Amino acid sequence: MMMQRRCLTMWRRSLSAGYRCFECRRGGPKGIWSSPAVRACSMPACPAGRITALEAIDLWKRCFEKRGVAEPEHSSQYIIAHLLGAKTIESVEQERLTEFLSQEQTEQVWKLCSKRLSSMPVQYVIEEWDFRDLTLKMRPPVFIPRPETEELVELVLADLQMKSGTQHTCLEVGCGSGAISLSLLKSVPQLKAFALDQSQEAVDLTTENMFRLGLQDRLQIHHIDVMKDAQSVLSLCSSVSALVSNPPYLFSEDMASLQPDIFRFEDHAALDGGTDGLNVIKQILTLAPQILSSEGRVYLEVDPRHPPLIRRWVEVNVEELQYVETRHDISGRPRFCILQKEKSNKDHELDLN
Amino acid sequence: MSELIPPVRILYNVCSRVIWRGPPSTPLLKPPTAGLTCVLTVGKKDLTNLPVLSEDELEEQFVRGSGPGGQATNKTSNCVVLKHIPTGIVVKCHQTRSVDINRKRARDIMREKLDVHYKGELSEVLMKKKEAVKRKQEQRRKANENLERKRLFKEALAADSEPGKGTV
Repeated sequence: MMMQRRCLTMWRRSLSAGYRCFECRRGGPKGIWSSPAVRACSMPACPAGRITALEAIDLWKRCFEKRGVAEPEHSSQYIIAHLLGAKTIESVEQERLTEFLSQEQTEQVWKLCSKRLSSMPVQYVIEEWDFRDLTLKMRPPVFIPRPETEELVELVLADLQMKSGTQHTCLEVGCGSGAISLSLLKSVPQLKAFALDQSQEAVDLTTENMFRLGLQDRLQIHHIDVMKDAQSVLSLCSSVSALVSNPPYLFSEDMASLQPDIFRFEDHAALDGGTDGLNVIKQILTLAPQILSSEGRVYLEVDPRHPPLIRRWVEVNVEELQYVETRHDISGRPRFCILQKEKSNKDHELDLN
Repeated sequence: MSELIPPVRILYNVCSRVIWRGPPSTPLLKPPTAGLTCVLTVGKKDLTNLPVLSEDELEEQFVRGSGPGGQATNKTSNCVVLKHIPTGIVVKCHQTRSVDINRKRARDIMREKLDVHYKGELSEVLMKKKEAVKRKQEQRRKANENLERKRLFKEALAADSEPGKGTV
């Protein structure tokens, strides 16, 4: 017991002295250690004595605070809970939190928390995250689903469930990890979906998540850039009930001020929507009437400044689309735009010109 | 003077059912919540006897820090704080890693708390607790009875197999 207390004191002293220590010997990942950013950071030594989960959480929380890592306490808690096989620290029994971690567990804690030191998002550190009732694999640089997007799914579901009974198809532009499509498919058993992304890595990750969730019989994933290859999108599907997207919508000038977690690790192409953030959005809306069935709807997640701009632009440029409404997110910001294709007597025929 | 019967205010029937909210015409303190039309959650718990929540009476706070939100923010904190304005009851939920699920759970918990608040002893939560206690007592009683019966049976067997008495 005295041994452990002495070790703890040593770590605390070494932390405050900015002591430069070695990383854990066993299984140190090559990639992260060769990064100059990480080598420049000093980090606590992997303990010689034993440490409990609670002590590890506290130690790393303080380390993150010192290093200016965002959400120091949450980061520490999520990573260590994950290593204990739980999703949140609250769901771990008190006894387990005060038990000593094994040598292997301790090394794992050090390995993962060290990654977080470079501001790698927690979701990439633990390689997974939850979206609604799904657990999805996460991998840089594929965009990490945001909580606001859960609400986008709810909006689509509300409409789909009102029209229940009939077969529906949806198209997602910019699927990333597959969060939106997979979530819709899970909640609507009769739904079929198409998902596209311009990034091969996103297509691969969505594919992986699709198989993990056993939804491969109802989802088709395609590597298509909607900006460069509209024709491929149009030949893929028509008469879609819902066109959903969380497209890159940030203004280019805002990219530079993004927090390091995002700027350093997530695909900028999944974020940058151009000067006014509307590049991809406009393209989607232009193609929408040819993709949607009569009275089919577009659901977009956007920047809070966009809704009035989109409404005006659509009025002028996309005759067949009606702006239905703007919905707000949980923070009270205008966040979602819903538009509807006008009623037509026949299904839109493919324009092959 | 002591009250023999707890005051039971069936206020929940006064609350209107949650309906699909249209676009906001005036700035709201809290946003119209997307998609939370069906509050009677069809889940593992039977929540049909709990008070119906009216979103009008709720104030919801999502602890995600200041910052632009959406794609411009990546935060993992997802604690939802729900306040029921008429009663002042506050529910905090950060049970899962999904904000959406935490919001739904917060509402379930709120309904249970409102039930206790309005119905006291007669609330679902307390009734279920009483039932559980009763069931346990019943199980214990039966277990004891069985043990007793077995003990008597053994005694009877022992008495029968004593030497001097005929055995089959």
